[in-house]
Amino acid sequence: MHTSTSDPETATEHDPCEQRELIGDRGDYFLNRIQGETGVNVSACYQCERCTNACPISQFMDIKPHQIIRYVQLGWRIRLLKSSTIWICLSCEMCTTYCPNEVDVAEIINHLRMMAASSSIAPKEKSLAVFHQTFLEELIKSGRVNEFRLMRAYYSKPDILHEKIKNGTFKQELQLAMTLFRKGRLKLSAPKSKAVKEIQKAYSQTRGEII
Amino acid sequence: MKLSFYPGCSLEGMANDYCESIYAVFKTLGIDLVEIEDWSCCGATAAHSLSEIMSVILPARNLAAAEKMGLDIICPCSLCFNRLRFSQKMIKKKIFHIPWQVTGDIRVLDMTRFLAKPSIIQLIKQCILKPLDSLKVVCYYGCQMVRPPKITGYADYENPQTLDRISAAAGARVLDWSYKSTCCGASIGIGRREIVEFLSKRILQKSRQAGAEAIVVSCPLCQSNLDIVQKDRSDTPTPIFYVTELLRLSFKDKGNPKWFKMHVADPVPVLKAKGLL
Repeated sequence: MHTSTSDPETATEHDPCEQRELIGDRGDYFLNRIQGETGVNVSACYQCERCTNACPISQFMDIKPHQIIRYVQLGWRIRLLKSSTIWICLSCEMCTTYCPNEVDVAEIINHLRMMAASSSIAPKEKSLAVFHQTFLEELIKSGRVNEFRLMRAYYSKPDILHEKIKNGTFKQELQLAMTLFRKGRLKLSAPKSKAVKEIQKAYSQTRGEII
Repeated sequence: MKLSFYPGCSLEGMANDYCESIYAVFKTLGIDLVEIEDWSCCGATAAHSLSEIMSVILPARNLAAAEKMGLDIICPCSLCFNRLRFSQKMIKKKIFHIPWQVTGDIRVLDMTRFLAKPSIIQLIKQCILKPLDSLKVVCYYGCQMVRPPKITGYADYENPQTLDRISAAAGARVLDWSYKSTCCGASIGIGRREIVEFLSKRILQKSRQAGAEAIVVSCPLCQSNLDIVQKDRSDTPTPIFYVTELLRLSFKDKGNPKWFKMHVADPVPVLKAKGLL
């Protein structure tokens, strides 16, 4: 495993006391599944770390982009789905664009995010995961998304408001909302799309509901 | 000339000024924009993050509506543009069932690339009444408009030129810089404010180092991120203009400060100092 320590004196390749983790499922099932579902050749990665160097927020990530690819090769599914990387990735596509072997790193991270969303694993970045979910719910409800309605729905989700008040960001965000409202940027209502029914039907079909 | 127009949700809300300026600019240029009838949201990051199939069929609905009209789509929002192009590519692969009648053959243009065509640049130059030659700007493209090149079709994704050409046609002095397509943080501010501040502040700082007095953008989310991060600043703000706002300013003899009331970083002092208002 790659160590992030940059000091060559103290860096060791493997900590002798650490219990070595086995290759995920003692096979390449996870790797094959990911490659099959995304059409990305994950095996082509030779760990040049170009993706991590291109990533604008790799310092905020617990598993770096090149490690994500390596972990997929190793089949370390749980570790990947429990990481915060899969939620904070911005999908800015820098990694994908600059990979010399055309490994679509952003697509892999995105796919892992979808896997995590439909698994029973609690997302590490709950506030971001809940935001995506709220966005989709608002979209299905009215066909278009209005910022005010979206934020109102977001804050009424369990724990979100409580968490925001606790870490002190709620006051800031309220002030920001007031400023935007004064500037005329926050529209309190927006026309709905007439296609709501069609979209709702398509959405329930994608979730496997027959009627 | 007639084009179908897909505004997207942001242009109805936070970026309403962008929408108004687009209509004003296209009216001056004599190009008809027909809003796609009963358009719906493209799904944005949420559908992309949570459901692959929704991220294909939501934009497909709008593609289908435009195909019915038989007009090429022009798309001002970078993310909408990216999503429509992505959906088109997936429709062609025929691996998902799309509930709407759609072939994916219609052309999806991002607005800046349309305006940067040589013929349109000529048209823009003819309409200029007041060149902005005293204003030093840098152009900021963001991610979704240029990357990944396989979807967006940008060959010059490392140093894109469309906004530069349009701003230069409006007479502005366009400076070169290295942060044209570095991410601004997008919607991550919802959960992790520090990341968006880190990224947006760096872009602002680099633009100032390059000597720019304003930043030209075409993405509503980039605009709001770069704008809002300046809300507590006490020194001179760096106004963040939509490219069409800049064009509209140069198309008019006398500017009107009322246009800019939606900006957090007030552009009026900078423009007044330059004699552009």
